[in-house]
Amino acid sequence: MTPETVLSLADVSYTYPGSESPALSRINLDIRRGEIVFVTGPTGAGKTTLCLAASGILHHDYGGILEGSMTILGKDVRDYPGMAGIGRNVGVVFDDAEAQLIFSTVEEEVASGLENLGLSREEMHRRLRHVMEATGIVDLADRAPHTLSGGQKQRVAIAATLALGTGILILDEPTAELDAEATGAISALLRRLSEEGTAVLIVEQKLDDLAGIADRMILIEGGVVTREGIPGEVLQRPEGAVRPPAPQREGAAAPIISIRGLTHRYDGVTALEGVDLDVAPGEIVAIVGENGSGKTTLVKHFNGLLRPTAGSVFVDGLDAATTRVSDLARHVGLVFQNPDTMLFAETVEEEVAFGLLNINPGGPQATGVDAALREVGLLHRKAAYPRSLSRGERQRLAIACVIAMRPKVIVLDEPTTGLDARESAEIMAILGRLRRDGHTIVMVSHDMRLVENYADRIIRMEQGRIVPDGRTLEEEPCPRLCSTSPGRAPFTASTRSPN
Amino acid sequence: MQYVTRESAFHRLHPFTKLIFAVVVVALAVLTSDTVMLAALVGAVLAAAAIAGLARDLLRQVPLLLMLAASLLILTVLTIQSGETLGYLVPSAVPVIGGAFPVTAGAVDLALAMSLRFAAMIFAFQVLVISTQPRDLVHVMDRLRMPVDYTLMFLIALRFIPSLQLEGKRIHEAQLARAYNPGRGPAGKVRGLFPILIPLVANSLGKATILGLTIDLRGYRSGMRTPMRDLSPGRADIAGICCMGLLVAGYLALLLV
Repeated sequence: MTPETVLSLADVSYTYPGSESPALSRINLDIRRGEIVFVTGPTGAGKTTLCLAASGILHHDYGGILEGSMTILGKDVRDYPGMAGIGRNVGVVFDDAEAQLIFSTVEEEVASGLENLGLSREEMHRRLRHVMEATGIVDLADRAPHTLSGGQKQRVAIAATLALGTGILILDEPTAELDAEATGAISALLRRLSEEGTAVLIVEQKLDDLAGIADRMILIEGGVVTREGIPGEVLQRPEGAVRPPAPQREGAAAPIISIRGLTHRYDGVTALEGVDLDVAPGEIVAIVGENGSGKTTLVKHFNGLLRPTAGSVFVDGLDAATTRVSDLARHVGLVFQNPDTMLFAETVEEEVAFGLLNINPGGPQATGVDAALREVGLLHRKAAYPRSLSRGERQRLAIACVIAMRPKVIVLDEPTTGLDARESAEIMAILGRLRRDGHTIVMVSHDMRLVENYADRIIRMEQGRIVPDGRTLEEEPCPRLCSTSPGRAPFTASTRSPN
Repeated sequence: MQYVTRESAFHRLHPFTKLIFAVVVVALAVLTSDTVMLAALVGAVLAAAAIAGLARDLLRQVPLLLMLAASLLILTVLTIQSGETLGYLVPSAVPVIGGAFPVTAGAVDLALAMSLRFAAMIFAFQVLVISTQPRDLVHVMDRLRMPVDYTLMFLIALRFIPSLQLEGKRIHEAQLARAYNPGRGPAGKVRGLFPILIPLVANSLGKATILGLTIDLRGYRSGMRTPMRDLSPGRADIAGICCMGLLVAGYLALLLV
């Protein structure tokens, strides 16, 4: 440990209450003043637990078995008066942004910590303005945090932590839901803070966007640091993605989703404005755009969870503006971003059977359940408790719940958020197989590398509108798929040459 | 029920003045069981909210209050028999059980008084919550030397109301997308709650840990709280307290008459 070391973990091991195997094993980590340390690794490797350990939380507020020692600014972590004392020196952004938002407006949220530091009003206002500008949330100042999009919430959570001005920052997947622009802004901000002396520990899966600012990278697997060094040495690129082949089609197929002039307003906010879109059967369409651009609002119209303020939405020939949600569910399935939103049953099998029972009460379920679980590779976990599965397995289970109902259209909202490269590839392989079986896939994502690798067509949204953009399977100059304006030829399967 | 960003007379008042307002209304509501007096109190609170442009927000609670009133009425009718009999829950014409469960004036009067009392309290509390930023309430409670744990419990309770609503809506949508259909009949309705309640409770418990840690890390136990805004009382507060004084004096005078 050098005099410049601000945070040090020595032989730290930790086992969660009720668990038999340790989540962390003999972790040794020193972080120097102004250093940015990037931690990556597969889902379930112990990255979040490492964040909890490095922020002193395991030493104060958790049960379980903890071994080893830790210092913050040279002082033993146990000598700090609880988390309040540690909070004066360490700022933490947890992976669940929403859970960190306490107050009723964004400005109040960011200001809340400042008011507890004994600063002058002038200094508080200066910091508040600076942080809100740096994180791009000035225009959200009066919004209620719980009404924001996932990415906006994440920016507010980061801002509220940065405002504290701690010398050590610990960030657990801080940009998981951010678009490229916002991620770039956060990245630049962290670099600047490190130059001013702030030590930063970042856990992240998005290697491309953030690893570039790291001074050091740590790979953690199974609770053990397996590799450590400069980012270029540690990074191992996943193998190139293989785009799932497009189905062979003859002639132009009628669009399975047809949207004309879709506008959606709520509480005085125009979330969608004059959206036109056709999706052909068998396509994989990605919808991208900045946080709050209306992506999720758009796809919720497909299965009737939202109804148009104006315009029309037809899915598989049904008017989604008037058809009951339960009837639309037979034609279009929606997989939510967070699988925990839906999991309630005692076993994986019951969880998948739930949807089948809803659309076909009393009918045979076993075959459909098994087929769906086999499709996502979870047949062997049939009897498991759904919430005990790993994050990636829960995401696959959520997909199984939807595909068991055999909808023609499957919509996925950010299907790979929080998943590592291998799990993301597994999800995309499942989607490829579903497309091969004739399903149409629409996915909302901000991961450009993912959608460029797998989608036939990219729809870009900005401020509730679709902007012309995209590309085809053949990387042709776009014909251009976002044939979203009336009068343009719709992009259908026939405009692409099947592989 | 949560803070609403708006420019209203109540929003401009010092949080302490609004806290006094809520406490005074609660105190007056428990001082009497006279339905006329309680109705006048509810009317006064609603009138004050209407003048400040907040009546619409308060009226959103009316369906809840009507349900509460109906429940209280059933409860009092089943448990209290005093005064004149106004009728029967089971009409006399029904064979064998006709005339069961008499509805008495005393039971109706008590149900009405309790409903109005709840209405006054809920409206007054809502005026306080929708016009005061939670951090300002924390400052006031801090100045009143409330134990920090109680202040933080209050803060978390306020925070969880919209959060639970949002999470419940999200879970409901996720289950609707799986063709979820709340069951029929009482047993079906209860069974139909599981797909919503189980994820709601499990997810909320998960978030509670992070929420508690966040509060600690933001220094809410540091005891060094400095309001970012000037929270000195102004003329409007003096006028508001005078109005409350008049309300209390008039109310007590009527009670003593």
